[in-house]
Amino acid sequence: MSTQEIKKKYPKEILQAKDLKGLDLVWKKYLGRKGEINKILKNLKKLSGKERINLGKEVNQLKKEIAEKIEKKKRILEKKIFKVAVKKEQVDVTAPGKKFPQGYLHPLTQIIREVEEIFQSLGFLVAEGPEIETEYYNFDALNVPENHPARDLWDTFWLRGSQKIPNSKFKTRLLLRTHTTSVDIRYMEKNNPPLRIIVPGRIFRHEATDASHDIQFYQLDGLMVDKDISVANFKAIIEIFFQKFFKRPIKMRLRPSFFPFTEPSFEVDIDCLVCQGKGCSICSGTGWIEVIGAGMVHPAIFRAAGLNPKNWQGFAFGMGIDRLAMMKYKINDIRLFYGGDLRFLNQF
Amino acid sequence: MKFSYSWLQEYIREKLPKPKKLAELLTMHSFEVGEVHPVKSSKAGAKQFNGVEKMGPARIATRSVAGGKDWLLDIDILPNRSDCFSHTGICRDIAAITNSRFQIPDSRFQIPDSRFQNSLKIEIKDKELCPRYTARVITNVKIASSPKWIQERLKICGLKPINNIVDILNYVMLEMGQPLHAFDLNKIESVSFKSQTPNPKQIPNSKFQIPNKPKTIIIRRARLGEKIITLDGEKHNLDEDILVIADLKNLLAIAGIKGGKKAEIDKKTKNIVIESANFDPVSIYKASRKLNLRTDASLRFEHKLDPNLTELAINRAVSLIQELAGGEAREIVDFYPKKVLPKKIKLDLNYIEKLLGVKISRKEIIKILKSLDFKTIQYLKSNIQYLIVEVPTFRLDISIPEDLIEEIGRIYGYENILACSPLVYLSPPKVNEKVIYRNKIKDILVDLGFSEIYNYSFLSQKDVEIYRLKEVLELENPISEKQKYLRPSLIPNLLKNSKENSKYFKETKIFEIGKIYSSSFSPPHQNFGSGGKEKEKLAGVIFQKGIKGERLFYEMKGIVDSLLNQLGIANIQYDDYFKNEGWENEIFHPQKTAQIRIDGDFIGWLGEISPFITKTLDFKEPIVVLEIDIEKLIKYAREEKIYLPPSKYPALIRDLAILVPRGTKVAEVLNEINSRGGPLIRDIDLFDTYEGENIPEGMKNLAFHFVYQSDDRTLTDKEVDEIQKKIVWELENELGWQIRK
Ligand SMILES: [Zn+2]
Repeated sequence: MSTQEIKKKYPKEILQAKDLKGLDLVWKKYLGRKGEINKILKNLKKLSGKERINLGKEVNQLKKEIAEKIEKKKRILEKKIFKVAVKKEQVDVTAPGKKFPQGYLHPLTQIIREVEEIFQSLGFLVAEGPEIETEYYNFDALNVPENHPARDLWDTFWLRGSQKIPNSKFKTRLLLRTHTTSVDIRYMEKNNPPLRIIVPGRIFRHEATDASHDIQFYQLDGLMVDKDISVANFKAIIEIFFQKFFKRPIKMRLRPSFFPFTEPSFEVDIDCLVCQGKGCSICSGTGWIEVIGAGMVHPAIFRAAGLNPKNWQGFAFGMGIDRLAMMKYKINDIRLFYGGDLRFLNQF
Repeated sequence: MKFSYSWLQEYIREKLPKPKKLAELLTMHSFEVGEVHPVKSSKAGAKQFNGVEKMGPARIATRSVAGGKDWLLDIDILPNRSDCFSHTGICRDIAAITNSRFQIPDSRFQIPDSRFQNSLKIEIKDKELCPRYTARVITNVKIASSPKWIQERLKICGLKPINNIVDILNYVMLEMGQPLHAFDLNKIESVSFKSQTPNPKQIPNSKFQIPNKPKTIIIRRARLGEKIITLDGEKHNLDEDILVIADLKNLLAIAGIKGGKKAEIDKKTKNIVIESANFDPVSIYKASRKLNLRTDASLRFEHKLDPNLTELAINRAVSLIQELAGGEAREIVDFYPKKVLPKKIKLDLNYIEKLLGVKISRKEIIKILKSLDFKTIQYLKSNIQYLIVEVPTFRLDISIPEDLIEEIGRIYGYENILACSPLVYLSPPKVNEKVIYRNKIKDILVDLGFSEIYNYSFLSQKDVEIYRLKEVLELENPISEKQKYLRPSLIPNLLKNSKENSKYFKETKIFEIGKIYSSSFSPPHQNFGSGGKEKEKLAGVIFQKGIKGERLFYEMKGIVDSLLNQLGIANIQYDDYFKNEGWENEIFHPQKTAQIRIDGDFIGWLGEISPFITKTLDFKEPIVVLEIDIEKLIKYAREEKIYLPPSKYPALIRDLAILVPRGTKVAEVLNEINSRGGPLIRDIDLFDTYEGENIPEGMKNLAFHFVYQSDDRTLTDKEVDEIQKKIVWELENELGWQIRK
């Protein structure tokens, strides 16, 4: 075929190709090894210089054109095929997704992190201390003398075989700490004010268990000491904390209380989350929930830590982390936290 | 402590706020009030009750008790306020809070007959334990039931009526806070009739029932082995730590705790001795716990009472007894060697504002202090305004300026102190690295599919036996056998969790980070014990139903690798289990357990639980655990990381399968390859281990990917093939391993 004939014929043949197989035959006929284009190119060398150059250009141009058109037609045909094929395929979007093995952080870890973050934003450092404490740090240094009814505020687990060392200044009888307040003393012994710390940690109480009491739980103690930290400052810090923690405006009230390590001492109530202060079973009808025991650091505590009470003043507070978690997640039994039941834990 | 609303009204001249309102005021300014509810007295009680007015000793505001209705208030008295374990005590606070007038009860009675002096002698053997002992004899009382109004009030406050004398004494205790006790005078041994207790029947005329020979009451420590039968019929064994009231022959009472049977008031009693004493609080506290005997009296004494109260209370009791049981008051015997006088405290007015964070006027401050019976004198010294405050002796809780500031603050009202942010420079907090790394470890494990557990710190007797735990710390006072020991490992409780959860889940992957405890841990330095008795550990457990063989071991090993890598820890090494003295010997399968080391330092274990334990705990499949020391993990995680820039040049991969004797360790093979391969081998990856069919007996097939890469050029196939060929040749010829091509 001459180039003229090819030019005339091939577009019709491409148009007539009904499927990829037909199109492939067209391609072979013109562009294949034994195709029409190659036939012309083979005969090129028989031609003289100028004629050869002109025909060569024309044939190459033509080859490109054919290839492009075939390619175009091919895409059209493929699209048709996919359209048909896609119709045959389908996923069931309502079928469950593949289970990806996922772990969960314990709810108390999540609450502790949240609490730590808020206090860190208020300039508090996280401090820690031992769970097995000495009688000295847990009680005596905190102004809780032996054989005093104040000790009854904390029912204590004692360790067997840790006898008192007679005549020693520090009582070394060992116990499971009943509060993380003991870390306040340990920290102040090593660090001079001004200071602000929080001490989250596991504590223990020797008491009968029920839905709201357990023999172990988590406490967060806080301490802020400077030249003139006041009750008004305490109110401000704690109010900010609760508003950030519960992500809502809160009402708060201070009531008088007694702790041997603070003077004045108070309890802090916030308005009940459930009834917004109207009174319900959660707050035993009062509209208030007790959340914090607190007060201004007693001079005896500064002295025990080797500081001069004339130079420093500040506040200390303690709150139950489990209680916060129970309030936030509306959990009604504290023992669920320590039961290791994944049906419970994997919901957080 | 339970209080009667109508009774409280008796000592306040103005009308009290309504019960619920009063409870709210007390809660905000003094003590939390729990229950508040109405109580209905019987008709008869109400009648009698109104009749009291005529008898006069206590004026009763009838308006609040009309119809015999009363309210009960359950007030949570704070342990430092022993002055408020009584109605009058609470009323002092109420008067200050409500701005009303407090009136003390009337204690007038007939002047004693001087003919009966010296009928009672008091001997105090231990003055430290009994700072004051006041007693008075009353003759010719008529024992009967107490009037209904007394009975009603006792019942509201939770006390059982007995007879008029005992009830009156209890009544005065609830009224004034001073425990009182009465002995039958005739049952007490007198000096001259040591062996002959006078029989009341033989002395017909009550006027002359008192023998002229004095009776002796002795206050002393009990002797070891002495016994007493108390009023409730219980027998108690005593020792030197317990203070007793005795006569020359018998024990009459456990001082400050409970009376004895010996000199009990009974129907025939005519002459009595009333005791109003002050005892050392520590002694009472210890004795009451030793005897496991807590009474209304011991509760008050152990909180320490004002010695000046004994006289007021005894006079009030005598006056009521004369009114309600008749009789003649005799002389008072009062042992009170060291009179307690009011304390004086210097209070800097500026400090009040500085501590509370609110400005309260001087006038207001003085008014508050006065309303609580404090006396004040103002003075100025070098331009500082001071108050000298005289503290009434019943306020044993007040001894420093801060105590007074609390009084001012609570009466003024904490709600009137407005929140105010501290005016101090807010320096950014230092971070606690331990907290950060602990959080990171938890996040990595959760990403790897683990759920976090918080277990109890305790183990049972059975656990200790199963795992043969040694050097376990034991509680002196456990709550139960199940929680008797402190865990020396996190694993036993985690295995229990696994077992429990296997009922509901096919697979459990759990971990815990927490303290373990052992007596073998010794404190690192003189830190007064503790700190040294515990360590923080990470433990994890994986278990999957239907999975046998070593798959879980390698899964856990991959988890450890991933954890350590993500913490930036390199140089991880796994060594064979070594036998040691610890609990690990019982827990781990010795052939399927590895030591985890970082830079050669042992940081923990990874391995399968021993089949014996698995069977004991009734697991059907193997279970794999890890326990790692958190301190060490954090120590290595904190170390600076060596930074390797990624190569810009392409990597070439070659695969190689090696047939080695079954006992050969993968680490060994890797070492041999690495030492031969040179620096161009970037990584060698084990992708398959196979033994069994088509593999000669006693051999296993290890298949590796080799990754070749250079930092400074593109490697050619040719040079990589040459290195690979060299490795193969050396492994075959030098080690005799067979390379499968
Ligand atoms: Zn509520």
